[in-house]
Order: sequence, then structure tokens, then C-alpha cells
Amino acid sequence: MGNMKIKAKVKGDVVQVKVMAKHDMLTYDQAKKKGVDANFITHITAKANGKVVYDASTSQFWSKNPQFKFEFKGAAKGDKVEITWVDLKGNTVTESKKIK
Amino acid sequence: MDRRKFLSLSVVAAAVVPASLSAIDFRATKPDTWTAHNVKDAIKALYGDVALVEEGVTVKAPKVASNGGAIPVTVKSDKAAKTVALFQDANPEATVAVFTVPEGGIVNYMMKIKMKASGKITAVVEGTDGKFYVGNISLEVALGGCEG
Repeated sequence: MGNMKIKAKVKGDVVQVKVMAKHDMLTYDQAKKKGVDANFITHITAKANGKVVYDASTSQFWSKNPQFKFEFKGAAKGDKVEITWVDLKGNTVTESKKIK
Repeated sequence: MDRRKFLSLSVVAAAVVPASLSAIDFRATKPDTWTAHNVKDAIKALYGDVALVEEGVTVKAPKVASNGGAIPVTVKSDKAAKTVALFQDANPEATVAVFTVPEGGIVNYMMKIKMKASGKITAVVEGTDGKFYVGNISLEVALGGCEG
């Protein structure tokens, strides 16, 4: 747990970002069966050049090791996109990646 | 001494405030949305009693998902949006995600989600014009994804 894969690519003036976060995303049901606490990513934010470009409040119904994609404008090749997630237990992971 | 005490106190207070990542954390501001058991209640908890206009929102997902544990869902809209919310009616709770769309942001979100059984995915886009647009898709899930 605790890292993610990011791919960011410029196409025209749009930056396409693909992310895979490593997280078990245990729902309350699954956790109950295993006898552990539920834990899942509750918030994901992406920033580029100091501006928020993606902001999601998420739930237990995202898949295990959730993958997601989004697009935004206002960044160029060589800029960095920084993605942060927080889970139910308060763990935070931030990773950044240069836009290709 | 008093001043020093005051200063150290303020440092502690600053440390206690959780690092807020964004403008809106919908889990904190709209807690009822996340516990609502059906789509209608979830929308009501999030946006209030709103009229939904069925246009301008596309939800894409496979017609038959062989693995309910990771169903790729894409929400797209040309509307200038403030927020986007995604719901489904197969799991114990309805809300999957709520996005805050940055100004001028592009609504084209893909995420992989879990669904326990076949059902309907609904996406609501809150437009900057104050209207609420809705789109949905029904799909079959061959193997439920919530049992793990």
C-alpha cells in the first residue's frame, strides 16, 4: 500500500491523466467478513501549477486498486501533476509526475 | 511567558486542523449522501429537491460486466459543470463519488467501480447555470464485486 502509478500526457491543449492507486478499498461488508476495519480512499485531489484540476470525494465502491482517468487544460509538457489521496484511516499519499 | 504559551498553543491548534485538500470534501459536508440507500435519497441529500433534466450527460459502461469488482465507468458532459455525482442502485449505499469540477474543467471522468449485482448507474451534473442534468446506463453484472 502506499503508492500509485501516474501517466500524464498532453494532447493538443488537453492533458490526459491516468492513475492507478494501490489500495485495498475494503468495503464495510468485506471488512466485516475478514474481521478488520473498513478502509477505503475517501478523497482524491490532483493539482497542476498550484491549481486544483481534479477533486473527488470517493466511496467504498471504487474498485480495489482503483484506476481513474481525467482530463484538464492549463498545463504543458514538462509541468508536474501532483495527486494526493486520503483514506478513511487518515493515511495520505502524494505523488507527482511530469507531464509528457 | 504568557506570550510564549499563547504561541505554542496556536501551533498545536494548527497541527490539529486536518490538512484540507480542496474546497469541498463532500464526505464531511454532506454525510447523509454517503449513507443513503437509494439513488433518489442520495441525490436529495446532496442537492436537495431538484428537478433533473435528462440531457447532456453520457454514462459509459460495459453492457455486461464479467467482473463486478472493477467496472470501468465513464461520465462525460459538455455542460459547464460545478459538480458531478455518480450513483448506482446495486450496492447497499448509493453514492459512488462526487466530483468538484474546477472552473473551466473538463467533465470526462473514468473510474473503476464495484457493483454487487446488475443495476443502473446514474450520473448527475450540476451545471454552472443552476440546472441539474442527469444521464444513466443499465448494465448486467455477471459476478458481483462486493463480496470480495
